[in-house]
Amino acid sequence: MTCRDLVVGYGGKPLLPPINFTIFHHQLCAVVGRNGAGKTTWFRTLLGLLPSVGGQLSTCRPDLPMAYIPQRSQLDPIVPLRARDLVAQGLERGRHYLRPLLSRDEQQRVSWALQEMGAADLGRMQFAQLSEGQKQRVLMARLLCSQPELAVLDEPTAAMDAVAERETLQLIDNLRRDYGLAILIVSHHLPVVSLFADQVIFFDRASQNVVAGQPETVFDDPVFRAHYGDEATQALRASREREKTQRVEVHEQDHDHAS
Amino acid sequence: MPPEAAPTWAEFVTGLDLFLDPMLCGAVAGLVLGFLGVYVVLRRMVFVSAAITHSAGLGVALTFYAQIHLSWLGSLANPFVGAFLLGIGSTLLLVANPARLGLTRESLIGLVFIFASGTALLVADRISQESHDIHSIIFGTAVLVSKGDLYTTLGTGSLTMLLHLWLRRALIFTSFDADGARVQGLPTRALDGLLLASIGLMVSVTTRALGAMPVFAFSVLPAMTALSLGRRLSAVFTLAAMLGLLSAVLGYLAAFFLRFPVGACQTVVAALFAALAMALRALRR
Repeated sequence: MTCRDLVVGYGGKPLLPPINFTIFHHQLCAVVGRNGAGKTTWFRTLLGLLPSVGGQLSTCRPDLPMAYIPQRSQLDPIVPLRARDLVAQGLERGRHYLRPLLSRDEQQRVSWALQEMGAADLGRMQFAQLSEGQKQRVLMARLLCSQPELAVLDEPTAAMDAVAERETLQLIDNLRRDYGLAILIVSHHLPVVSLFADQVIFFDRASQNVVAGQPETVFDDPVFRAHYGDEATQALRASREREKTQRVEVHEQDHDHAS
Repeated sequence: MPPEAAPTWAEFVTGLDLFLDPMLCGAVAGLVLGFLGVYVVLRRMVFVSAAITHSAGLGVALTFYAQIHLSWLGSLANPFVGAFLLGIGSTLLLVANPARLGLTRESLIGLVFIFASGTALLVADRISQESHDIHSIIFGTAVLVSKGDLYTTLGTGSLTMLLHLWLRRALIFTSFDADGARVQGLPTRALDGLLLASIGLMVSVTTRALGAMPVFAFSVLPAMTALSLGRRLSAVFTLAAMLGLLSAVLGYLAAFFLRFPVGACQTVVAALFAALAMALRALRR
């Protein structure tokens, strides 16, 4: 998906300057910025939930299948949906809803998606009663079930402890790698998200700036450094280097074991 | 003067020809409204239902007024048409964006509810020969329903249930995660419109037959009861429909044997089920 001078806003009034950005399959992009910076407006425009004010939005093919995972807090806890029912919502794409019953293959796809996300034993449980980490697994099973090529995840690690956050982001990274998804993650937890991101897009409405690119490029940007501070930016860069080194070491160990 | 003897089952069975139509009408209304009530309660539209039922009641009242004072309208002044037009009209008004009027949704619902209730009573004051019917329209004291009302309720109820059972997955997805559904290509505005129109239509039709109070009760209380007890959404829908049906039938029987107004009895039976469910739930904890 490519944004060419894309202008987002409401009622014909721009919120931010024109945005130029491209995301490809197998890429994970962290969408960061403070509250009210315009992140939500931008991704809602990408998903077709809001009309753009100007510019162009294009995809590699028409009707690119997309999926959106909202913040868990937006899903009403009094609705007695089982985890399995929620995952089955991923099957509803286009005119599929006109079929009155789900086929056996479709039921099996739901089971498969739950299993892939390590949530097979959660299927019969009430979604509202699951832990935050379990809920996120179920939501990602729904995403997998819907077979999108572009997915937007809104604050997938909100209200999670550090271990659960890391596990969730690893799961998301696996989706990107194993299924070729292009994934946009909206998050306030930049230090952890940036470890997995191929791109970062940073929004700052106050200074009317949008900075997009590889994480190191964005970290070097003066607007980004002014926002987060030099010390925090250095820490981000250092942790990315450590992460890269660890991944190389793990990859070499796996290679040695295989040979 | 000796007190009147209580009615007996033998008397009920003897008069079954008279009682069957209103019981059947109530049962269908209770079943369908109970089912739809799950959406009403979960989407926090409880007083939307109240506003629509009273608007439908006003529609019927205005139709009676037209029949008496505007006879040139002739057969156009049909109570069902009046209930339908004002019921659907209020549904459309209540789903519009209230911010454009500088109001919150709750205050808009309150405005429609109060306006419809008050105006219906004003109209009733001008139709003294029909005031008993106006009262029964609002509070449901009618014991008998016409064949026309029965067939309209049966037909509308059947069509509504067929549509809802066919499109249930899409309606549930749209109701509880509209953005997710829209991104996956579902026509969420059309589905939302269908849901609200079906509630508005069913409320309008059954208000004419049963009265506003029992209709409001059926569209809220069975769903509340089912949500207290059910752990799966599909079970909640089924339970709410059954409870609506039971409330209508048992309420009718209670009205016959205890000599109380029908609509009030049906409402109280539905409320008793809700109270019992909440007590059971509290005991479970």
